[in-house]
Amino acid sequence: MEEDERESESERRSAPSQTSDQQTTTETSRQKLETDEDDIETKLDISSDRFDPLLALYSPQVPLPYPNIKCFNNIAEYESFMKGGRGRAKPENVEKRLRKAQKGKADPERIERLKRLMVNNPVEEEGEGSGVKRPPRQRKAAKNVLTRMPLHTGSPLGELNRCVQEKIRVKVHIRTFKGLRGVCSGFVVAFDKFWNLAMVDVDETYREPLLGQALYHEKALTVTRLFEKLKVQETVALSAVENQKSELHSSSSHLTHQTRRTDPKHTQERSEHSEKDKTTLKVTQKIATKPKVEYGRVHTRHVNQLFIRGENILLVNIQQE
Amino acid sequence: MDVSHSIRERTIAENSLVILLQGLHGQVTTVDLRDESTARGSVINVDAFMNIRLEKVLYRDRRGRVSSMDDLFITGRNVRYVHIPDSMNIIETIETQLAKIHRVRNFGASGGRKEYSKKK
Repeated sequence: MEEDERESESERRSAPSQTSDQQTTTETSRQKLETDEDDIETKLDISSDRFDPLLALYSPQVPLPYPNIKCFNNIAEYESFMKGGRGRAKPENVEKRLRKAQKGKADPERIERLKRLMVNNPVEEEGEGSGVKRPPRQRKAAKNVLTRMPLHTGSPLGELNRCVQEKIRVKVHIRTFKGLRGVCSGFVVAFDKFWNLAMVDVDETYREPLLGQALYHEKALTVTRLFEKLKVQETVALSAVENQKSELHSSSSHLTHQTRRTDPKHTQERSEHSEKDKTTLKVTQKIATKPKVEYGRVHTRHVNQLFIRGENILLVNIQQE
Repeated sequence: MDVSHSIRERTIAENSLVILLQGLHGQVTTVDLRDESTARGSVINVDAFMNIRLEKVLYRDRRGRVSSMDDLFITGRNVRYVHIPDSMNIIETIETQLAKIHRVRNFGASGGRKEYSKKK
């Protein structure tokens, strides 16, 4: 009798997963055939009291109460699993594994969280944020390049800060790979620990670098020599112009203007450096004996705002008032 | 005009005058190099190490020969001067850039992961 039932079952079986609810609905539809099916269903239903285990073992499709359950191949496996072997499916582990599997997929909850963090209107956000933050937690003092400037009191950088605050004109000596390149005279607006300087109203006087043998033979350039050279250049140019007497009245007056401008600077330089241990040079003699400057010309230019990288600075000299 | 994505570069820039140069994004400036050559162009980007990228550059080498380039990258160490355009106020530019960094730093810190622990 059971075999007959099994055969008829395998013919008539359609939907595999039928819960007890579905069983009741199928029962109500067809009357005569229902009794048989109904019988079989209840026999295969684990929770019913007419469960037939032999039938369940041999039937092709048994409705499982928990379809997503872990399957074991034998009871020994189940036993070792329950004893807590390696990789035992504790609830935390199961969740972790599931989360790892879903790592790539976009988690809508996470997206929502991130969206809420997004700044739509920066002013708004800051207003709200600062209002909330200030009562519970005192903000640590902001440390940035501007706040660090006054921190160097007592050190040379502190002196530089004084020049910034009191707007003292300074002279910055710029270096070439070996020796002095030139001098930048201006006001320092900002600086940092690397001696990078932001300067305004800069007058730069510099000499073109010498190349090769000339550099080897030339005496080291000093500030004194630099300005003397400038003066020499200009007097040489001036004399060249004065030799041509044709239409140069306007330009010669322009040039004498220039030399007059450098003169006070030059005498100032000389008075400054006469105290140093460099030899004091007599200008008139030097001009007579110096050759015409063709290489390593000295140039002057004015830059309104200049940034100097600290690596190139030799020294900073305060121009006393 | 974007703040650097690296925390390290941000702090280096914040505590040095490189931040002034970072405020020059898009401006036309002249960069004098260590080897006496000059490059004039518009600044694309300056990083914390003062590496500068320029666009549409007129490059005058130390011999005086002029050439034109679409894109020029200058290593930070080779910079001697950077001419700041007259139209820019130095202190204001620095403060604007610092505010940008500040905003970026507080963006994530208010509700989520902190950039660095505020405890000393």
